[in-house]
Parts: sequence; structure tokens; C-alpha cells
Amino acid sequence: MTDVDSTKPNEASTRVFPKMSESFFSDDESSATDESVVEEVDNDDTFVNVAQEDGFVSTHNGANPVRKPNRSRSKKKTGTDAMSMLAQKDQSFLSHANTDIPADFEPDTVSGMFRSHDFSYLKLRPDHSSRPIWISPSDGRIILESFSPLAEQAQDFLVTIAEPISRPSHIHEYKITAYSLYAAVSVGLETDDIISVLDRLSKVPVAQSIIDFIKGATVSYGKVKLVIKHNRYFVETTQADILQMLLRDSVIGPLRIDSEQQQEGQGDSSKDGKNSDPKANVNPNDVEAMFSAVVGGDNERDEEEDDIDAVHTFEIANEAVEVVKKRCQEIDYPVLEEYDFRNDHRNPDLDIDLKPSTQIRPYQEKSLSKMFGNGRARSGIIVLPCGAGKTLVGITAACTIKKSVIVLCTSSVSVMQWRQQFLQWCTLQPENCAVFTSDNKEMFQTESGLVVSTYSMVANTRNRSHDSQKVMDFLTGREWGFIILDEVHVVPAAMSRRVVSTIAAHAKLGLTATLVREDDKISDLNFLIGPKLYEANWMELSQKGHIANVQCAEVWCPMTAEFYQEYLRESARKRMLLYIMNPTKFQACQFLIEYHERRGDKIIVFSDNVYALQEYALKLGKPFIYGSTPQQERMNILQNFQYNDQINTIFLSKVGDTSIDLPEATCLIQISSHYGSRRQEAQRLGRILRAKRRNDEGFNAFFYSLVSKDTQEMYYSTKRQAFLVDQGYAFKVITHLHGMENLPNLAYASARERRELLQEVLLNNEEAAGLEVGDDADNSIGRGANVHKRFKSKAVRGEGSLAGLAGGEDMAYMEYSTNKNKELKEHHPLIRKMYYSNLKK
Amino acid sequence: MARARRGMLLQCDPSIKALILQIDSQYNDIILEELDDTHLLVDPTKVDFIKHELNRLLSKNIYNPMEEEEEQQ
Repeated sequence: MTDVDSTKPNEASTRVFPKMSESFFSDDESSATDESVVEEVDNDDTFVNVAQEDGFVSTHNGANPVRKPNRSRSKKKTGTDAMSMLAQKDQSFLSHANTDIPADFEPDTVSGMFRSHDFSYLKLRPDHSSRPIWISPSDGRIILESFSPLAEQAQDFLVTIAEPISRPSHIHEYKITAYSLYAAVSVGLETDDIISVLDRLSKVPVAQSIIDFIKGATVSYGKVKLVIKHNRYFVETTQADILQMLLRDSVIGPLRIDSEQQQEGQGDSSKDGKNSDPKANVNPNDVEAMFSAVVGGDNERDEEEDDIDAVHTFEIANEAVEVVKKRCQEIDYPVLEEYDFRNDHRNPDLDIDLKPSTQIRPYQEKSLSKMFGNGRARSGIIVLPCGAGKTLVGITAACTIKKSVIVLCTSSVSVMQWRQQFLQWCTLQPENCAVFTSDNKEMFQTESGLVVSTYSMVANTRNRSHDSQKVMDFLTGREWGFIILDEVHVVPAAMSRRVVSTIAAHAKLGLTATLVREDDKISDLNFLIGPKLYEANWMELSQKGHIANVQCAEVWCPMTAEFYQEYLRESARKRMLLYIMNPTKFQACQFLIEYHERRGDKIIVFSDNVYALQEYALKLGKPFIYGSTPQQERMNILQNFQYNDQINTIFLSKVGDTSIDLPEATCLIQISSHYGSRRQEAQRLGRILRAKRRNDEGFNAFFYSLVSKDTQEMYYSTKRQAFLVDQGYAFKVITHLHGMENLPNLAYASARERRELLQEVLLNNEEAAGLEVGDDADNSIGRGANVHKRFKSKAVRGEGSLAGLAGGEDMAYMEYSTNKNKELKEHHPLIRKMYYSNLKK
Repeated sequence: MARARRGMLLQCDPSIKALILQIDSQYNDIILEELDDTHLLVDPTKVDFIKHELNRLLSKNIYNPMEEEEEQQ
């Protein structure tokens, strides 16, 4: 029993995750999947042997319709086998779980304390110690022992079918949700697979409630597809009755465009025959798809669809797409969006390939294998930590699809970065690569190419300049093979909705590090882009050296008595200034900077509050960058930080949260932050995850969060850490920095200095206390929800003599005309082309 | 003539002292004497009240993820 069972989960995981060989990126579809099929079948044990006996392998390779009858017969047979196998399993393992609580179950003395959460009736299996998971029957939470030898395979499987909730070092928590099951189905898993693998991994028999839930949630998935043809949207299904049902639906029915309706219902008879099979109770595809899942792709199903040629479609209007998607989700027929890019001959191919020198890391490949699992491109979201190479994932995906690509990102800085990365990693020619920002409005001249732009440029609804309107018409007027949505979590639902509906793209890929939002808008992304395809485990990546190993610490700085008294008296916003300017915090910051500079670390200090940023930086004599620092100065400071031994510390405001890439930095100190934003914490940590020295022996990067004790900051700080804690980071609490008092030149060491600081802080108006309104992603994209944001006063203060103001001095008049200026900026197209393309190179 | 009053010596962080001072400013009958940064002499009958108030005020600064979960349910 133990022997057999311990090998089975192995098989399960290879089944779920087909090995992606080099051929994955080649054009030859058959080699990508079929070969690996044969290998795996050969290597695998009992479970797949059943399939082999039934002639599964031979039929799989046959793409010709002649084989069809043979195949469907064998399918039924394998199906019967599988079903009986499952049924046996059900009987042996789930006999008492069927009734939920068995009759002979006697609650013990402590049962009462757990009330409905008493699951002691679920009997442990004899070999439970070799099985890594336990599933809560009431809410679908999965607890995984990550120290189990099977944990790695179990993790791969769980991350596909469930949402990772928390992944510290020893015990992981996942949760099965309808969305996660939807995602699992969309990467090609089938209901019975999921249940049987769970059953193998679980310490106790899987509860009936969970089985019912999985069945209920997955049984109708994948039946309806949304396809773009000739820039129009079609809803596609293989079953006429589902189509009829959709058309009768009160919401979807009216959205159909009648004149374009095309139904090709020829294969009905063959399907009816299949439906009569009692084993295939829901869908004839189910059983065979189960086995195609064994081999990691459902090519088979696609082929069959082509064979029977019974695809029923109706057209819907572009603006109705989201309504239909949402409605389909409600009636339990979520739409799958797939793009068969290899057979799309209508859209011109883009000549783009990864450069031979480009290396893809295993986890990047794994995430892409989820996206291209069956030779088609699925839409979805890939979650990777900051610094783990999200850009390369996007680029590789684009190189696989080889159609026109559009990339949307959050700021013009990242626009340039994306463009530069594309040119660096793949063979894309600069003339095929256009940039659309407020400064640069370009289109590529060839028939296919790449456009990089920002969300705000594309989603803008206000009046556009003539130029940008022209580019927009260009963007909306054509069909795109692929759209990449960078930092997809920051985009408000309304904006991404507009983007997704205005740009017709076959496949959509969202990239993000932190799929959390404080306003719970994440689930909207499920309709707009697609399910989460892959989420990397931060701890695993850092163990393997892909991202740096980080020590996190929260430093508690007691408030001085004077500051705390004022703190208690003041309004909420002023309070913030007081706890940031707390002299003890300043001392802690000074101490940590000196300590780490002596160790040879490069330090970044983050402060959201610009007033504090300047005070700290000026007092400590360090360079600083914030929103209004001119570009030239920024570059100067950053370059010095990178190459100059004398500059080891810089102060950054919010602008440094995302767009600044500094692989030299190894230590991070946070003195003020955006309330309880979990995302900001993770993004900031991301600044040191890509540390250059990460592969040095015993190297640790440091992340300090300075917190004033007994203030609101404690609350925010704990809340902010939640995300990182769930990723497995442990925050040490430091209550006292040893040796801080003895630091020479310690700032604010005397009570008088502290009082002066307090006076200064109190004299500041509330304006200074506000967070910076800068050009970071949060602001430029406008998450309107934050009431605390303040805008700087519009008044301009100028200097002039009294005589001058009264008109007593010499004066020259100049006529300003905005239109004229615009015309001046506009160069002749030829000059523009030469000039701008040179600039970019 | 010297007057004797019963008091209780309270030792705390400077910030907690400030908090107690604030509580006192509303009632005026808690603190008998401010001794230094970390010591106070308070009315012994009010000790429980002080503890209660401090707990109430300080718990606002503690983030408890479980609470949020319960709210959601």
C-alpha cells in the first residue's frame, strides 16, 4: 500500500505539469507535446498502464480523422476503467465520508469546543504520515506539510488548483475556491483528476463536501469559448444545447448580433451517440480529456473539435464582451479565452525570437508552460516576485506567439525599460518597436510590430491631441496577437476594462508581483484578463538563489515623552508627522546607516513623507530623490550610488518604490510608508531582492522598518507585513539597538535639541504631513479611494520689484500660443524618424 | 500642617506616562504627583481604571488579522 501510494503522487505531478523541453518554444507543435507523452507514459506506473493497454498512445498520435471511431471507442473503454477505478476508490476510502458524519461516531470530551469544526470523525489513513495534506471539509482550506518528501510535487499541484494563502517554511496553507478551480480547468485539468490527486495526497479521505464542491465548480467549465475572428468576438461552444441555453438567457440572448449569426451544426448525430453513453454523464469530452490531461495537454480535444466540425457560434458586440463573461460566470459556464496562434494565418507574423544567449529560469518556464500548455495561448495572470524576471516572461511569451504585441505599463520610465529589454533579449528590430507616451507618439510602419505604452495613454477618455488620436486609431483599428499588462494589480478596474475593451487582443497576459489590493478589487481581474495561471513561491526562489535572501526586522523606537504628549493632542495627519520625526527613530536610522555602511552595504532609505525625507537627508548629509527632483539630478545621484564608494546611502521617496532598478542596494530602511499598504511593503522589498551580490556565500540583504512605539504606526506596520509574512518572511522585532547611545555625533541626543525639533515639527502645517503626490504608479493611475491624499497648492510665488510689478521697468511682450508651440515641436516626418530612432538606440 | 495621602508608585515608559497624563486631563483625579520621566504617583483606587483605559487606547494600535477575518464572515 505504502509503496504504491508513495509513487502515485509523483505520477500525478508529472501528469499535471508536463516537462517543457526546448521544443516548447519551437514551432513544431507535435514535438512539444507528443514526444513527452510517450516518454511519460513509458516511465509511469499502474495508473497510466491502464491507458496504454487500451491503445491510448497509438490513438493519441493520430491526428487523422480516419482513426476517429477507434479513438472514441477506446476512450469509452478507458473511461470505464477510470471510472471503475475511481468508484472503487470512492467505496474504499470515502465510504463513511459519504454520509459526512458516520453513525457510529462518538464525539469525545473536547469535541464540543470545536462545534461544527470538529472533524475528528475523518479517520486518518494508516499511512497518513507519508501523505502531506489535510483538507478542511467546511471551507476548503488545505494544510500542507512542506517538510514532507512529497511536498514539492504537492505544491506544484496545489498552486494550480488552489490559492496560496500562506507559505512560511514548514506548514503551508492553500484554499480551494471557485476561481482557483476555474484556473485549474483552464490550464487543462479535469474534475476527476483533481479529486483523485487530492485523495492521494490527503491524510484523511477527502470529504464529500469538498468533492461535491469541486464537481459543482468544474463540471461546466471549459465548455464555452470566446474567440476573436476578424476583430469581432464570437462565443463558441461544441454543444448545441449549451448554445441554446445561452441564447435563451435573459442577459446574453439580447446581446447577440443576429445578422452575423452562423451556426454550423453538422456533427449533432455523432454527439448524440456519445451522450447516450451513461458513463459520460455530463460531457463526452470529460473522460477522454481526463486522459489528455494525463499527458499534459488537451490537443486531442482540439483535434476532435476540428474533426467533427460542430462548433456553434454566435457573435457578440465588443462592448458586450465583459457582460457576457460575467454572466457566464454567474450561470456556471465561465468562458475560456484561448488563442490558436499557430493556425492564425490572417494576422501577419512578427519576426521575433529570443536571442540564443537568453537563458530562461526553470520557474519562468514553468509559468509559461501553464500559459501555452496545449499549444494555444491562454489569457491569464502570472505572479512572480519583484526582481524575478517578469519582463523576460512577457518577452518569451511574445516570442512564442510571434504576432503583433502591445505592452502596457504604469509609467513612461517603465515604457522605456520594457522597450530596452525587448531589444536586449530578443531579435526584434528597433524599427518594429514603437513607443506611445505623451512625449513619443509613434507607430510601426511594418505590418506587424511591438507597441509599448502606458495605461493612462490608452485609457484616456478626454480630448486627445491630433497625434495621439491618430495613434489610438491605429491601436484600436487592428487586431493584436498579444497584450501584456504590466503591474496589473495597480490598474483600477474601470481603466483596465476600458483598455481591454478598446484593444482587440487575442491573448492577454497580466504580470504582477503582488496580487493584493486593499480594496478587494482583485477578483475583477478574473473577468477582465483571466485566471491566475501561476504564482511563484518566494521562499523557494530565494533558496535557489534567484532572488536575494532577506532578513526582515521591525525596529521599535519609543516615542520621547514630549513628542508623545503632542501626538496625543494633535489631529490625525499631524500625528503622522510626529511619529515619523520621532527623535528616537531618527537616531535608530542614523545608527543603522552607520552600522551598515561600515559593513560595506549600499543602503536605500525610504520615506513617503517628503518633509521627513528632506529633514533626515539634510541632517545626515545624504543625497535624496523625490518627485520634484529633476531628471538630470536623479540620474546623477543614482549613478553615484552605483559606482561611487563615497555615496553608500540614498534617500528615496515613493518614486523609488517601483521604477528604480538598483541591483547594488543590499540594505533597506523604511522610515515612513503609505499607511497599511501591503503592496508597497512588498514592492519595496523587491528593491533589494535583485541584489547583485545575492549569490555570495552567506549573503543576506536587510530590510528594516522603523516604527514609533505606541502609535498608529504599529497598527499599519503589522498590517503591511501581512503579505510578506504569508510569503514566508519572518519579521524580527528589535526593541533596542545595542550601542545606539554611544554613537558619536548622535543626533538629538540632548533634550534641548529634541525640543527644538519638536517646535519645528509643530510649526509645520498639515501640508507637510501629507504623503507625497508624486509620479509613482499609485498616483498617476489614480486610485481615487484615498481621502488622505492632498494636492499641492496651485499658487505660484514669484519675485519681482515693486516698480516692475507696477509696469515701471522695461518690458517686452511676447505672444504665447499653445497651438504655435505644438506646431514648432512637430518635425518633418523624415527628420523625426531619423532623429528619434537615433535617440533610442 | 503636613498632610498625608495614600498613593501608589507607577513606573512606566515615557510614552505611557504621556498617555496617563492625557487620561488624567479629562478627570483630574488620577495623578497625585509627577515624579520624573518614568514614575508617577497615582490614586490607588484608580489603578484598575487606568489599566482599562490604557488597554482601550493602546489596542487601537494593534493590528489583528483574525478580527478582520471575522468581520468578513
